[in-house]
Amino acid sequence: MKKIVLIVCVLFASTQTNAQHFHASGTVIEDYSKNPLPGATIQIKDRPTTAVTDQDGKFRMYANPGDVLIIRFIGFLSKEVIVPEAEEELIIYLKENATLLSEVEVVGALGISRSAKELGSSSKIVESEELNQGKVVNPIFGLSGKVAGLRINMYDSKVDPAAQVVLRGNRSLQRSSGIDGRNPNEPIYVVDGVPIPDISRLNPNDIESITVLKGANAAALYGSEGVNGALMITTKRGTKGKGQVRVSNTTTFSNVYLLPEAQTVYGQGNNGVYSPVTFESWGPAFDGSMQPFGTPLPDGTQPMVLFAAPERDNRLNLFQQGLNLQNDVSFSGGDDISTYFLSAQHVRQTGIIPDDKNERVNLRFNGSRNFGKLRTSYNINFINNRKDVTPDGPWISAYRFPANFDYDLIRNWQDPNSPGNPNNYFIPNGSWLRNPYFLIDNIRQTNQQQILNGKIEFSYQVTPWMEILYRAGMYASMDEIRNTTNKYEAPGTRNTPGSVNDQSLTYRRFNSDLIMSIKKDIGTVSNRLLIGHNLRTDYRKQHNVAATNLLYTDIFNQSSRVGELTGGSSLSEQRSLAVYAEYVAGYKDLLYLTFTGRNDWISTLSKENRSFFYPGISASFIASEAIPAIRQQRKISYTKLYASWNKTGNVTLSPYQLNNPYSQLNGFPFGNTVGFLPGLTNPNPGILPEFVTSYELGLQVGLFNHRLYLDAAYVYTDSDGQISNANVSRATGYNAMLVNSGRVTNNIIELTLSGDVVRNMEWTWNMGFNFTYTNNMVRELYGGADFRQNFRQSYAFVGHQFPTLWVSDYQRDPQGRVVVDAETGDPLVAEENVILGPMVPPYIFGLSTQVNYKGFTLAAQFESRLGGWFYSETVPPMYEFGTHPITAQYGREAFVWPNSVIEVSPGEYVENTELLTSGGGKEFWTRQGAVQSNTAAKADFFKLRELNLSYSLPPAVVDRMGFLSEASLGLVATNLFIIRHKDNNIGDPEYLYNNTDGYYSFRQLPPMRTYGMTFLASF
Amino acid sequence: MKNIHNIILSFVLLTGLVACDTFLDVNSNPNSPIAENLPLSAKLPGALVSTVNQESLQLNSMGAFWAGYWGTNNEGINQFFDLKTYNGLNIRSQREGIPVWENGFNNILFFKLIEEEALESGQFFYSGVSKIMQGWLFLRLVDVYNNIPFDEAAQGNNILNPKYEAGQEVYKKSLELISLGIEEVKMSGILPQTHGDILFEGDKELWAKFGNTVKLRALVRQSQQGDHAYIQNEILKISNEGSGFLDIGESATVNPGYLNTAGKLNPFWAAYYRDVQGNTLLNYQIIRPTTFLLEQYSRLQDPRISQLYLPVNGSYKGVLFGNMDGGNAQYDRDSTSAFLGPVENGGQATGLFHNWNQSSMMLSDFESLFLQAEASHRGWIQSDTETLYKNAIAQSFDYLKVPIEKLEEYYSQQTVSLASANEPLRNIILQKWLALNSINSFEAWSDFRRLGIPEIPGTVASGVTGRPQRLMYPETEIGTNNQQVQAQGSDDMTRGKIWWMP
Repeated sequence: MKKIVLIVCVLFASTQTNAQHFHASGTVIEDYSKNPLPGATIQIKDRPTTAVTDQDGKFRMYANPGDVLIIRFIGFLSKEVIVPEAEEELIIYLKENATLLSEVEVVGALGISRSAKELGSSSKIVESEELNQGKVVNPIFGLSGKVAGLRINMYDSKVDPAAQVVLRGNRSLQRSSGIDGRNPNEPIYVVDGVPIPDISRLNPNDIESITVLKGANAAALYGSEGVNGALMITTKRGTKGKGQVRVSNTTTFSNVYLLPEAQTVYGQGNNGVYSPVTFESWGPAFDGSMQPFGTPLPDGTQPMVLFAAPERDNRLNLFQQGLNLQNDVSFSGGDDISTYFLSAQHVRQTGIIPDDKNERVNLRFNGSRNFGKLRTSYNINFINNRKDVTPDGPWISAYRFPANFDYDLIRNWQDPNSPGNPNNYFIPNGSWLRNPYFLIDNIRQTNQQQILNGKIEFSYQVTPWMEILYRAGMYASMDEIRNTTNKYEAPGTRNTPGSVNDQSLTYRRFNSDLIMSIKKDIGTVSNRLLIGHNLRTDYRKQHNVAATNLLYTDIFNQSSRVGELTGGSSLSEQRSLAVYAEYVAGYKDLLYLTFTGRNDWISTLSKENRSFFYPGISASFIASEAIPAIRQQRKISYTKLYASWNKTGNVTLSPYQLNNPYSQLNGFPFGNTVGFLPGLTNPNPGILPEFVTSYELGLQVGLFNHRLYLDAAYVYTDSDGQISNANVSRATGYNAMLVNSGRVTNNIIELTLSGDVVRNMEWTWNMGFNFTYTNNMVRELYGGADFRQNFRQSYAFVGHQFPTLWVSDYQRDPQGRVVVDAETGDPLVAEENVILGPMVPPYIFGLSTQVNYKGFTLAAQFESRLGGWFYSETVPPMYEFGTHPITAQYGREAFVWPNSVIEVSPGEYVENTELLTSGGGKEFWTRQGAVQSNTAAKADFFKLRELNLSYSLPPAVVDRMGFLSEASLGLVATNLFIIRHKDNNIGDPEYLYNNTDGYYSFRQLPPMRTYGMTFLASF
Repeated sequence: MKNIHNIILSFVLLTGLVACDTFLDVNSNPNSPIAENLPLSAKLPGALVSTVNQESLQLNSMGAFWAGYWGTNNEGINQFFDLKTYNGLNIRSQREGIPVWENGFNNILFFKLIEEEALESGQFFYSGVSKIMQGWLFLRLVDVYNNIPFDEAAQGNNILNPKYEAGQEVYKKSLELISLGIEEVKMSGILPQTHGDILFEGDKELWAKFGNTVKLRALVRQSQQGDHAYIQNEILKISNEGSGFLDIGESATVNPGYLNTAGKLNPFWAAYYRDVQGNTLLNYQIIRPTTFLLEQYSRLQDPRISQLYLPVNGSYKGVLFGNMDGGNAQYDRDSTSAFLGPVENGGQATGLFHNWNQSSMMLSDFESLFLQAEASHRGWIQSDTETLYKNAIAQSFDYLKVPIEKLEEYYSQQTVSLASANEPLRNIILQKWLALNSINSFEAWSDFRRLGIPEIPGTVASGVTGRPQRLMYPETEIGTNNQQVQAQGSDDMTRGKIWWMP
């Protein structure tokens, strides 16, 4: 009742006051140059009414005498003016805030806020709104394309896709991850000052901002783990004032797209003859007839299929539309001495593969309270994620199948008379080629993951210039994984034995920091000293119990088995200690020098080598402040130059790598007979920490009254003496050795431009552009080797980028034409493999744009990556089984290999115009599919990653409603289009096989796009 | 100001105290033992099984395809593609290749580490056995790659780029190593109760015989190339040593005590016949004898055929090696003869598949007898060639569970018996080839490379010429020891040669 009265009063009051409105008008002028300022906003204090100055800096708006006008312009100090009694032309001077850019507070190392002007290295802040533009479920994907130097790859299209995060290029040749599961090229993730191994399950709506500290230098105080830069996540907390309740919902749908191109001319069979029992597309051309499919069923019927390729790609029938539902609620508030934040999120996803599901519940409690000089705060985050998927499978056979393959026919595989029943299925093979729906229903993996993550923090203001802070953080995750294969008895290879494997994986980290910070100005020099101590323990335990031969269908327990139980356990523990210090001296707010130093003690190294120290120095110079000539340039509003040098120690060892473990392999133990073999990586007790030296030079400029910002950085890093498992000649007896060897350098150029293209009363149009060029190069490998294998066709070559794609190719004449065998006419395969190029794109462009018109906002994020290659394992089977378009290009007959030559005498080539290949069927094309250059493609792409169209209710409307403080409605979409290199008919080059680079596995799902809507209200 | 100093000082002290050493001493592995924790008797079985697995699986299957025994039916046309098309580049590749080199040197390392530890602690049985086995492995690698490292091999990070030595040189050095090994075995003391010798149960004499037989095999191998004075001299050394060769019933087999559990069955059984649940494996479904092989058995009315293969409608049907045409129904799975196993034989042991716990074959007594027969035929050793030859066939019958009564009838054929043979050597090698089928097939491929007996047809895959003579140096080696690889010249699979080849 009270509320209604209030609303009525407000309405009444507003109509009342309207009558007395008169115009306030004036000009906003830039104080330094005395030029008018177009695009400044004028708002009546505590009211939603706003105006914007025009081209001449003029504005005109309704206001009441005595109202306070707040005049704001980015890059300038805001100013308050009281509307005078008489209607008069106001002249308002805005003073430039020369240090605005530097006023930005960044979350520095250890979660301590620092002013950006002090920083001697590059950083970028991504605010909540920008992060959540695409309404992603995993916050990492919200960063894609938004930060120069940061490359994020979504691995796959499963229901809970994983991400690869690389900041400023690959630096380490090592592939294996550490005890916390991060790969050696991944940055460190720090949530509210506590380093945690993974942020992919955080609720993106809980994130206030992510500060990306790019250099090893910025994160120097994190030591080892900060060597690849840091993602500093600040979660939301309550603020003083009226409590706020926010509710939001996002509903999006996902769909598969961009399937590898397939031929639609020929159907199943062998040598051009139809066969109902082969899945290979080496049969006759489709002719629209009805053909038998498989052998007759037990009831005597013969399933038939239409022998014609349908208009719509049949393979799409295997997929379904996925659904992502996110429901969020948060409560926040605070008073003078305490803050409160509570949020809950529920995410429910179904995948593009039928039956794939994921469900996540995310709870967060952040709070703080001050007790005089003592400030206390805590964060607790609980996450429960339950995933239920079919691990691999259904897709693996689909791209091998003929174009007319009828998925509906095999869907009801349980029916003993279905052609999809394992007893009848036309592929009698108990592998991945089983009926896709059988795989979906019978091979499952569930993973229940619980994460509890929190911190407590005490800080005590000892004196006005000294503070002591203690922060203890804990991260615990527990995974319960169950893999099951349902038993299905069928003859021969059609049989599917039942199995169950229960795994649990416990990981715990405790992290403690004790930090003393002192701030004291002496004359014109400001001093800040930080001394800290860090202690960390990591513990991981994994165990599994499995039975590989279950007795009964639908009964999954290890006791219902024949044969032996299998399983094992593995424990590992790692501890580290560190002391560190940082000293910042500032001279008159225009020159800053920062010195850092850290000493680490790490348990994974031997006693003699486990202590190591590393220093850093950086400087930042606010040129626009120091040199008046720059400021007098009207176009230049702000200039900062910075430089840094750092040496960072890094240990990528897992525990227990100093000794060679012996294990029982090849079936041992056989009863009482034991048999141990040493590991084949030669251990090295004398391994030392590796050191990364990095240099960075940068420039930040604000131009045209802060309408345009430019941030440019050049970075050089040199990672020498890398801890790596170097491949060695197997003739040494070992496969690899743990060594300090191998050197990789990175030359990186980063450019960020952002600015307002249009800024007036009704419209603002902001554009952002970022560019990264990463030239990383392998300088040296262990034992003087020229190259080493990284992963399958991915190699490290001295003098080339890492990793490099090295593949087999055809013999070619000097003009690059393929040499064919003078007798058989078949293209010859060169004895030496060829280098195609880097498997990570050296050039990355990000483009963002946002247009605001009244309450409407249209935001888009584009990204392009150029110059890389990728390799696909989906292609060779498509050659072998005749689904690849090229296998249909020559009518399945012998043909003259295009643009080919014959070597008539050594080094002399004549064009081949009539010599035909030995064939054009399966045998021929299978051999071509084994030529790996046919399997690679340029990885260039340009895609629209995110699109967001939203409408916020105008403040006036919201205001009138009283109980509501904000409401918006929007449409969101991701990956709406992609433009690929013309030679790429494989798929999305961004996709990866696990944590590889540029490698597309045979099990790789095609990409998916999402679109849907989102709604938000706050009270 | 003084105050600050005090605070800083106490802070540093505090942190220093926390940095106490024991906190960091958590780096000893709780999951696995290390070398020092294990006696040699716990290491030897691992190395022996690893070696015999390479012999009976990897080398045996490669040999079986290239010695004319195996082909694939229509269902298997996509399998063993590289072997059937002599694709040296793929075979050398790290991803889908056949890591003979890698496994070979790993196995050498296993024995080398045992040898080093044994010499330090004076346990000469283990050092001797390790030397003999290293000799075996080096010889194998020469037979596949010709020039390989010997002196500088398996030295860990002491020698990162082991220098290759000529194949012939490695042969000589391997024989010396085996001789040394035999000496050490003979001079060793009493073995502990748990000795871990799952090859000869600690029988030193058998080890000596085994060593001598391996040496004889290496000498016979050089028949077409070797220095005859050297051969004679080595034969003399063997006879001076006095233990002789592996005799009837003295096959070198490894049995760690196979169990009827997944991963613990006899590996050949588990790879080519049935899994622990009794389901037939893919290999069993697709691997078929070649028509050429079946013709040889039929021509000689060889009773062994019925112990080896499953007849289809009363007759034995083979396939063409390298046939890529899946459309010919004659070579369908059900139209061709699979291996015969106990399940298809009323539960009775068959030729290749006796039982899931059968021993793995390292070197059979019949091979030893055939080797001696050839050496005797060549006049290198003084013995009765015919007796050795006949015993060898008898032992093959015995191994394949063919009733011994059938031997006389078989042997009485002119095509079999040695006495009436125009070319006795041809008979010896043909019979050896028939006996080694799918057991030590690699040896048969080596005999074919040496003598061209029997006239095994090449692959029928189109566009493929030549015969496999060797493997190319592996990609791992090109990546890590390329200078050495390049120095060896062409390693083309169909044109390159092993030093002992004519």
